[in-house]
Amino acid sequence: MLWIAAAFILSLRMPGANPEGALSVLMEPDGTGTWRMLIAQFEKENPDIPIQMVEGPPATNAREDLYAASFLSGKAGFDIVYCDVVWTAKFAAAGWLRDLTDRLSRQDLNDFLPQELEAGSYKGRVYRIPAFTDAGMLYYRKDLVESPPVTFDDLERQARQLQNGNRWGFLWQGKQYEGLTTVFLEILWGFGGEWIDAKTKQVYLDSREAVKALEFLKKTIGTISPPAVTSYIEEDTRTLFQAGRAVFLRNWPYVWTLVRESPVKDKVAFVPMVHAPEESSAATLGGWGFAVSETSSRVEDAWKFVKFITGTEQMKVMYERMGRIPSRRSLVPAEFVPIIEKARMRPAIPEYAQASDILQRWVSAALTGRPGCEEALKKAAEETRALLGHAK
Amino acid sequence: MRKARGIVRNLQQAGWYLPAGILLFLVFVYPVLRTLVLSFLHVNLESGFQPVFAGLSNFGRLVSDTRFYRSMQATLVFVSVSVLLEFVLGLALALALEQLKRSGRFFRTLLLIPWTLPTAIIAILWMWFFNDQYGAVNDLLLRLNVIEAPVAWLAQPRSAMAAIILADVWKAFPFVLIVLVAGIQAIPREMYEALEIDGGTYWHKFRYVTLPHLLPFIFVAVIFRIIQAFAVFDLVFVLTGGGPGGKTETISVYSYYTFLRYMDFGYGSALVLVLAGLLALIGWTLYTLLLRHYEPGR
Repeated sequence: MLWIAAAFILSLRMPGANPEGALSVLMEPDGTGTWRMLIAQFEKENPDIPIQMVEGPPATNAREDLYAASFLSGKAGFDIVYCDVVWTAKFAAAGWLRDLTDRLSRQDLNDFLPQELEAGSYKGRVYRIPAFTDAGMLYYRKDLVESPPVTFDDLERQARQLQNGNRWGFLWQGKQYEGLTTVFLEILWGFGGEWIDAKTKQVYLDSREAVKALEFLKKTIGTISPPAVTSYIEEDTRTLFQAGRAVFLRNWPYVWTLVRESPVKDKVAFVPMVHAPEESSAATLGGWGFAVSETSSRVEDAWKFVKFITGTEQMKVMYERMGRIPSRRSLVPAEFVPIIEKARMRPAIPEYAQASDILQRWVSAALTGRPGCEEALKKAAEETRALLGHAK
Repeated sequence: MRKARGIVRNLQQAGWYLPAGILLFLVFVYPVLRTLVLSFLHVNLESGFQPVFAGLSNFGRLVSDTRFYRSMQATLVFVSVSVLLEFVLGLALALALEQLKRSGRFFRTLLLIPWTLPTAIIAILWMWFFNDQYGAVNDLLLRLNVIEAPVAWLAQPRSAMAAIILADVWKAFPFVLIVLVAGIQAIPREMYEALEIDGGTYWHKFRYVTLPHLLPFIFVAVIFRIIQAFAVFDLVFVLTGGGPGGKTETISVYSYYTFLRYMDFGYGSALVLVLAGLLALIGWTLYTLLLRHYEPGR
């Protein structure tokens, strides 16, 4: 009995601390097996640098918390960080990431998408090397829509006309979580508004444009969007859209791969997000990259891996097998260029998580009842200003 | 000489407490002390995790933090409604099971199943039950003609809170049930027989025999449930994440965000300490209300 217990305890490996001297990295669930394939390729080329991939939970904020907990507990952390755009500033400010600026070649600097490079930087130094990019976009049913909408009014009108008892007009992600921030920003930018200026730390949430943006979103609920939209995340909206139960869908590029194997496969196309007549489209920039942990004792080996996995050939594989858009200019597929060009960064500030939570809470509160849009945004602006250290 | 022997014996006795004492110190005393110390410091991203003495400023910030009051309010609503329902349901079913002779044991085991499942998994299960399109809850209510159109349970603050409470009641009432069943079984049968001879009704039996004997069991069940419900985390985290509009965010979810997402350890510790203080107060109040007059064996 004791032996069984001992064997069981020994078989539980702590993430990061492993006997064979492998470099460790916490990743998303590797559903397609692509990451395992790429790692195997790296290990074949570098037999002296084994990589241990820990598959974490699918929710990105859960992985963010796992990384934070592992860094806070001191040593035995991860060597390589698989890093979302919005973590970079926080992790770099905490001193957990190694400055990689001088390791990038001029050629790489020119090839990576400028927004992705900037999103991986903190105070002018590069900490995160981009692997693939993400941007919000508008999918539509081309069998129903004659000419795709350009403005918010077009979207609303077409959605009203084309929806019926079995089909909603417009799907978006309205649950109180990071996704709501990304959706709201696209609408806000489309109305010509702004959230936070990362450099001056000015907050613009109580502007007229912001109120218009929130009022637009609120008006969709129950008219062109289902009442439950305020509980939906990406997958809820994708499954409904794929089942043919919506005309328009705001989502990320990953849907494009999946929708082409669904019942509506030949009936879908996409355009950049709609905007106000005088303004232009905007997409919230997402994307993932790799960073080297400050606590790693094998920086050179870790860098070798980061350089490998963000290489041209590897990005092609990620696109082919997972539908992930390469973050190198030379590789972005032509149909996605108009979307990626519109992509804008969320503010790269260490307080990002808290600022986003303030925004989500007040936007969600206004969408699901009280207070009104203007009041909610005023409160959100006040709280954000207090957070960023210039209370008015 | 005798005195010296006494000391040795005392030391020997103390030695037996040592292993448990060390364990208790490590898992209980140390974390509490550390939290206490942290609550008087600024340890956060801004200070580069270097401790800076903060005096009472963390507690001062708490007083003016509207999010703290909101999460407190959500927690109190959750605790009072869910524990009350669990108590009523647990007591009613415990009394009912006592009436069944042989099948009682079977149903008792069956009813205990939800209690044995991990909460995070239950939360995912209920998330599907409450799904507006494919959920079992809407399907059932539609068939029974209780509602006319599917309800978006998790999309509105009030119904989301109701959903969380329902999931918690389903999971936790078996605990109350099993404690009370044990209490009922410990009551001497003769007391009921005596009352029957005197012509007592079922209500008399319940009021003058069952209830007084059950008091300590009720106290244990309710106080355990209150403490656990106050710390509710996984159900809320999985079902709503605190939304919509932050209106289902409980104090433990808020302190989790403060610690791990905002990495503000000083303020997070102050939050946790206030929660602990409040629990101690509630425990003491319940103890004096329910058990002060109860002295077994009298």
